[in-house]
Amino acid sequence: MTNHWRDIKNTDLILINGANPAEAHPVGFQWFLKAKLDPARGPGSGGGAKIIHADPRFTRTSAMADMYVRIRPGTDVAYFGGLINYVLQNNLFHDEYVRNYTNASFLIKDGYGFTDGLFSGYDPKNRKYDVSTWAYQVDTAASAAYDAAHPPAGGAVTAIAKRDATLQDPRTVFQLMKQHYARYTPEMVSRITGIPQDQFLRVAGLVGQMGRPDKVMTIVYAVGLTQHTTGVQLIRSGALLQLLLGNMGRPGGGMNAERGHANIQGNTDHAISWEILPGYLKIPAPGQKTLADYVSQSASKKNDPRSWNFFGTNYRKFMVSLLKAWYGKAATASNEFAFDFIPKPAKNSSWMSIYDQALKGKMQGLFLNGMTATSIGPDSNRVMDALANLKWLVVMDPLPTTSSEFWRRPGADPKSIQTEVFMMPTTHWIEKDGSFVNSGRWSQWKDQVIPPQGNARHDHWILADLFGRVKALYTQQGGKFPDPIMALTMGYANPKQPTLDEIAQEVNGFDLKTGTRLASFALLKDDGTTSAGDWIYTGGYPASGNLMKRRLGVQDVKANDPTGMGFFPNWAWSWPLNRRVLYNRASADATGQPWDPSRPGIKWDAVQKKWVGDVPDYPPTMDPNSATSWLPFIMNGEGVGRLFSNGVNDGPFPEHYEPMESPVQNPLHAGQSTSPVAFLYTGGTGSHGAVTGTFGTADQYPYIATTYRLTEHEHYVTQHVPLLAGLQPKPFVEIPEELAAQKGIVSGDRVRVRSNRGKVEVLALVTKRLAPSTIDGKKVFTVGVPIHWGFVGVSAESDPSKGANWLANALTPFVGDANAFTPEFKAFLVNIEKM
Amino acid sequence: MGEHFVTPPNWQWYILAYFFCAGISGGSFVLGTMLRLFGDARDAAAARIAFLISFPVLLVCPILLTLDLGQPSRFWHMLVDVSGGGLVFKAWSPMSLGAWALLLFGIFSLVMFAASLYEGGVVRHRALQATASFVAATAGRIFLIVGAVFGLFVAAYTGVLLAVSNQPVWSDTWALGGLFLASGLSGAAACVLLASRSRRAAMTDRKLIEADRYFILLELALIILFLATLGGTLSKVLSGGWIILWVIVLLGTLVPLGLHWRPGLMRQAALLAPVLVLLGVLALRAVIIFSAQA
Amino acid sequence: MAQTVGFLTDTTLCIGCKACEVACKEWNGLPNNPLDFKGSYDNTGQLDHANWRHVRFLETSTSNPDKPIAWSMMSDVCKHCANASCLEVCPTNAIVRTEFDTVFIQQDVCNGCRDCIAACPYGVIGFNQQSGTAQKCTFCYDRLQNNLMPACATACPTQSIKFGDLATMRQAAAERVQTLQSQGVSQAQVYGDTEYGGLHAMFILTDKPEAYGLPSQASAVLPGRNNIPGYLTAAVTAVLAGLAGLIAFRRRGEQPAAATPPPAATTGGR
Ligand SMILES: Nc1nc2c(c(=O)[nH]1)N[C@H]1C(S)=C(S)[C@@H](COP(=O)(O)OP(=O)(O)OC[C@H]3O[C@@H](n4cnc5c(=O)[nH]c(N)nc54)[C@H](O)[C@@H]3O)O[C@H]1N2
Ligand SMILES: Nc1nc2c(c(=O)[nH]1)N[C@H]1C(S)=C(S)[C@@H](COP(=O)(O)OP(=O)(O)OC[C@H]3O[C@@H](n4cnc5c(=O)[nH]c(N)nc54)[C@H](O)[C@@H]3O)O[C@H]1N2
Ligand code: SF4
Ligand code: SF4
Ligand code: SF4
Ligand code: SF4
Ligand code: SF4
Ligand SMILES: [Mo]
Repeated sequence: MTNHWRDIKNTDLILINGANPAEAHPVGFQWFLKAKLDPARGPGSGGGAKIIHADPRFTRTSAMADMYVRIRPGTDVAYFGGLINYVLQNNLFHDEYVRNYTNASFLIKDGYGFTDGLFSGYDPKNRKYDVSTWAYQVDTAASAAYDAAHPPAGGAVTAIAKRDATLQDPRTVFQLMKQHYARYTPEMVSRITGIPQDQFLRVAGLVGQMGRPDKVMTIVYAVGLTQHTTGVQLIRSGALLQLLLGNMGRPGGGMNAERGHANIQGNTDHAISWEILPGYLKIPAPGQKTLADYVSQSASKKNDPRSWNFFGTNYRKFMVSLLKAWYGKAATASNEFAFDFIPKPAKNSSWMSIYDQALKGKMQGLFLNGMTATSIGPDSNRVMDALANLKWLVVMDPLPTTSSEFWRRPGADPKSIQTEVFMMPTTHWIEKDGSFVNSGRWSQWKDQVIPPQGNARHDHWILADLFGRVKALYTQQGGKFPDPIMALTMGYANPKQPTLDEIAQEVNGFDLKTGTRLASFALLKDDGTTSAGDWIYTGGYPASGNLMKRRLGVQDVKANDPTGMGFFPNWAWSWPLNRRVLYNRASADATGQPWDPSRPGIKWDAVQKKWVGDVPDYPPTMDPNSATSWLPFIMNGEGVGRLFSNGVNDGPFPEHYEPMESPVQNPLHAGQSTSPVAFLYTGGTGSHGAVTGTFGTADQYPYIATTYRLTEHEHYVTQHVPLLAGLQPKPFVEIPEELAAQKGIVSGDRVRVRSNRGKVEVLALVTKRLAPSTIDGKKVFTVGVPIHWGFVGVSAESDPSKGANWLANALTPFVGDANAFTPEFKAFLVNIEKM
Repeated sequence: MGEHFVTPPNWQWYILAYFFCAGISGGSFVLGTMLRLFGDARDAAAARIAFLISFPVLLVCPILLTLDLGQPSRFWHMLVDVSGGGLVFKAWSPMSLGAWALLLFGIFSLVMFAASLYEGGVVRHRALQATASFVAATAGRIFLIVGAVFGLFVAAYTGVLLAVSNQPVWSDTWALGGLFLASGLSGAAACVLLASRSRRAAMTDRKLIEADRYFILLELALIILFLATLGGTLSKVLSGGWIILWVIVLLGTLVPLGLHWRPGLMRQAALLAPVLVLLGVLALRAVIIFSAQA
Repeated sequence: MAQTVGFLTDTTLCIGCKACEVACKEWNGLPNNPLDFKGSYDNTGQLDHANWRHVRFLETSTSNPDKPIAWSMMSDVCKHCANASCLEVCPTNAIVRTEFDTVFIQQDVCNGCRDCIAACPYGVIGFNQQSGTAQKCTFCYDRLQNNLMPACATACPTQSIKFGDLATMRQAAAERVQTLQSQGVSQAQVYGDTEYGGLHAMFILTDKPEAYGLPSQASAVLPGRNNIPGYLTAAVTAVLAGLAGLIAFRRRGEQPAAATPPPAATTGGR
């Protein structure tokens, strides 16, 4: 989240896309209701904030919304595109904000273009874009002049972009954007999404009012947007709309991702995914021989003299401090701080590729740590065959999972599966202390609730012990390039049993000369005198102690929330630097006064000569009125929000592409119906060869399916919780009444749902909450498949089928987003029959 | 009233049997009393039979009730307030009232049973002789009348018990108390007729038949009242399978009625009529208890 | 005398998450429901001995194109009626009114006659086969005695279940209805202000009570209402039956004069 849960109460209008907060974030949802109940909020005359829920299914969230919009899965780019077009065509954008706080005025290279569904620079052979044309026209003279005046720091490059403040030049981002979105007319939006034009215009009417400085809108999303081949662009679409309306950085505004597991935000920050290092530093790429190569190719370039480009400028400091945290004394200036110890993945090593490699026989073994690969999918049968293709599998989990049991699942022949499976009982998070980082980036320290049960050991103890043994083997036997292992610091009181407190301090980082913990990442250096395990967390555990333990909250609202905006600065700690709303400099105008005085984020206090309110996303005492003051978005190279960006693989502007399996051809460009750059795995052999062969077509599989959660369950783990199983005891699919009538299906019938990859055999729930949409003139049904069941847990045990064919992911396609590689769990084709 | 949003108490066979017995026992006592007070010497035998029926049948009642409880061993909680102390007596709770009524009626029923045993010459014992002469005296008449009032109550209150609830059908009418009483009396008459068949007291038989005729007419009138008062929930009692029970109820009333008017026929069908009546009495309670909870 | 407590359950804030159901089961150690799919999101079904909170899901179609379905959720519970039908009929005084003015079934007193089940107009009470007693929401009597909020209200993430002093709850209810109506929810209403002398568990509804399985004001009546008419009919019947007897058993012309039963000696002789 750019903002945080409690902040949602400050908004006038809530767009919910690809999220079902009432069911997936019930506690957070109270803030939606607070906004709704607050008469001071709301569009027009107020009377409570309005909620617009766009979702293929009418859910428990829709029930609480003011407006429910039935949208076809995978088409929100068109929905947001239509809104963007409406705002641009009717000049409803926040003019001052767009001119000064976005890159609308930047000029784009002449080589850039978009035709027949493809952006310039497409390479069909490798399904990749050469993004060199997606760039600003650089003013080389100005850049040189600037570098002359300020010698480039830390390897960051200067590339001053040409601008046209009038926004009239056809090569301005603004004009290109207008042109790009002109195609997203209400009529086209309706053809793609199935939303009736008149309803779409009612939505646009409300959203259009949110560009006024005295109004603010928030967009809330979750995996209903991310789990598509166009996932990242779906989210960018919302962000662009928010930039146009001037809602980024403002309380009650922002682009807010509701995260998953209680600590999935922390996982991401600490580099759970392969392409980043902690703190969103890029993973080194092949060919980057030196630290300097790495920094210059990874750090953002400075595109304006008044852009601080804070991240880019300090990239090297953050990387060096990370290397110092990992390799300690072994990281020296002479060996480039052990930069070479970091692997440089040559190609896509995302979640799905693990199983693709296994199918290709290129993997020996796999650790599944608190993650149930078999249930997670996609294409569970493919995943299970991949697991069967390993020599060994280690499952680290407090409980049996479909992965630890896959070899003896119903219908499987254990003798035919050679994989040796080790079950390592770990402690559950309720048996640990440590921090949870919520969607709002609050790192909240928690206590251990119960002592470890049975033989359970902490994950970090198992891993530390394992590391110790591996290191011992290297010491005895040597081996290729042992240095990264030998040099790794394990500076804990007990290297076999580090405490989470020690790890938290390591993450925060130290001044290595004095040995004191640092209070801010601004103090990090690139000379090897500081360390930080994750620079964005520096300051969370300063010399004064663990700020994540702070609990000054609603027990005294006046004292603990002085601004009344819900920041509660002394409740836990929020990265970065305890800032509660990211980009909050943009909540105030050029002179530092809030766009809406009734909802200030930060404010320049001319008397005290400092910013007051939230922790400023800006130098605390920099006078905004000085000619040399930084531009508002201090982190990136532009110094302003990006309406046009080359930071994504599939287009500088979002474009609607159909899901890989779709009932229609793309109405915008049938020739390029699906994403041209979505990664296509080549797979192993037989039925699990190239994924392209596993996609189904509308003639065999006429219905769209989407998968999702239910309030009553937490994925697969609550299959071990009888009381919750009692609330949703058996797997089911939700079927629209009209379709059920055609098939003679009634609630409670057993039905078989097939995709081109697999099937589920579950019960039918016939409902009016699902209904057909008219897509490009064609009537299309969507069926709903909750994800929660499998062949492990109390429901399966209690059922004669023992949970055979209960895995929702037996249906889903093995393909993902072009940037994040998140699987397309939310839109695929199936057929359905009564059993 | 119209709609109900309740859970049925799941009162099943025990309760049906209890309601039947309460009707017969109370009815018989009342019948015996009337025979004694209004009738002549020739009716004495029939009166004795009535009392000899009342008590044994009454004895079954607490057993049935206790078996129906979820905690049979706590049957006495109906009388003794284990939390508040003292006795529990709630005049506005028919079940509480009924518990007490059963207890007290038991005394009257027992005394008359004893007296009848003696008078009938079945048992001859000092103690019994005393009771017999007591009931023969004027005090005995008052004793009888009071006992009869309890008898009437025991036969009737089961209907009120159903009504004092929020269940469909039961709580939608006020006719059940009267209805159960009337059918109880007619059932009692039928029992006495059956039992006294051997004794060939033709005149008494005729009197009993005549009385039964009136009771049945009363019962029919109340059935109509009952159905008339149901309104919205009428369909519940008349729907589907319940019709069969209603047919039995009609057989148990109309057929005997017809026979009663033809003493000639009656002589042949001496057995048939009372048996039909008893079946009717049972069916009536069954349909009312079960259909409402269905 | 401890405070008089109350619930205000606001269906307009309920998201049907069933946290209240689970919290109640956890705190009171109630048995789990059988793992059977009931064909909807509601697999609990009803209030009974094992379910003291039950979230109803009420789904209706509307003519509003922006809200084609009205899906309202309501966490039902014992109403702790001021004039409680169950308490009225209970023949053992197992059902009592506590110091918090709540209605409580003493498990060690109840003998399982089930008269209260017949009496409760809201179908709240269930019969527990194991214990042989009637059971329902205790209003977390044990928690109240220890100054804790009831488990269900504590768990509710949206404050759809409000708990507090009854008077405060009544006021909150009135205010909430006003706001809703001012926002155009014309059907918004409080349920439980007057029913049964005022319920201690009130509800904010946006449709007529019947739609939520609650008897309307008119049909919210006490069982006791049928006592007098019931006994009266019985009495009239008794009188008529007496007359019938008088006529049927009247002495017919022939001897003997008095029907004094012959002394034992003369009859029973051998
Ligand atoms: N009860 C419960 N809560 C949970 C979890 C759980 O398992 N159970 N899991 C947690 C985790 S890990 C996560 S990631 C979050 C996920 O939280 P959510 O993303 O809210 O959960 P989902 O149900 O997967 O999907 C949300 C909604 O997206 C809709 N949707 C699907 N495709 C589209 C689309 O193309 N456009 C639009 N507009 N909507 C679409 C679905 O119909 C669904 O209603 O929930 C977290 N919270
Ligand atoms: N079709 C479809 N598939 C999906 C999704 C979807 O929407 N549709 N959603 C996807 C998303 S967003 C997610 S996050 C995944 C969720 O997939 P998972 O994360 O695999 O689901 P969980 O059941 O939460 O599994 C967590 C496991 O961690 C264990 N665990 C809990 N605490 C600890 C601990 O401290 N240490 C260890 N070692 N283990 C612990 C639990 O016992 C449990 O087995 O599913 C993904 N798959
Ligand atoms: S389960 Fe935990 S994380 Fe999920 S909504 Fe409830 S409180 Fe929040
Ligand atoms: S709702 Fe039913 S159980 Fe609860 S107090 Fe009222 S009558 Fe008694
Ligand atoms: S079942 Fe228990 S609580 Fe209910 S009325 Fe009978 S004795 Fe009272
Ligand atoms: S008050 Fe206590 S007993 Fe009653 S429903 Fe709530 S949690 Fe259950
Ligand atoms: S906990 Fe609250 S929101 Fe959830 S179902 Fe119960 S009453 Fe509704
Ligand atoms: Mo997730």
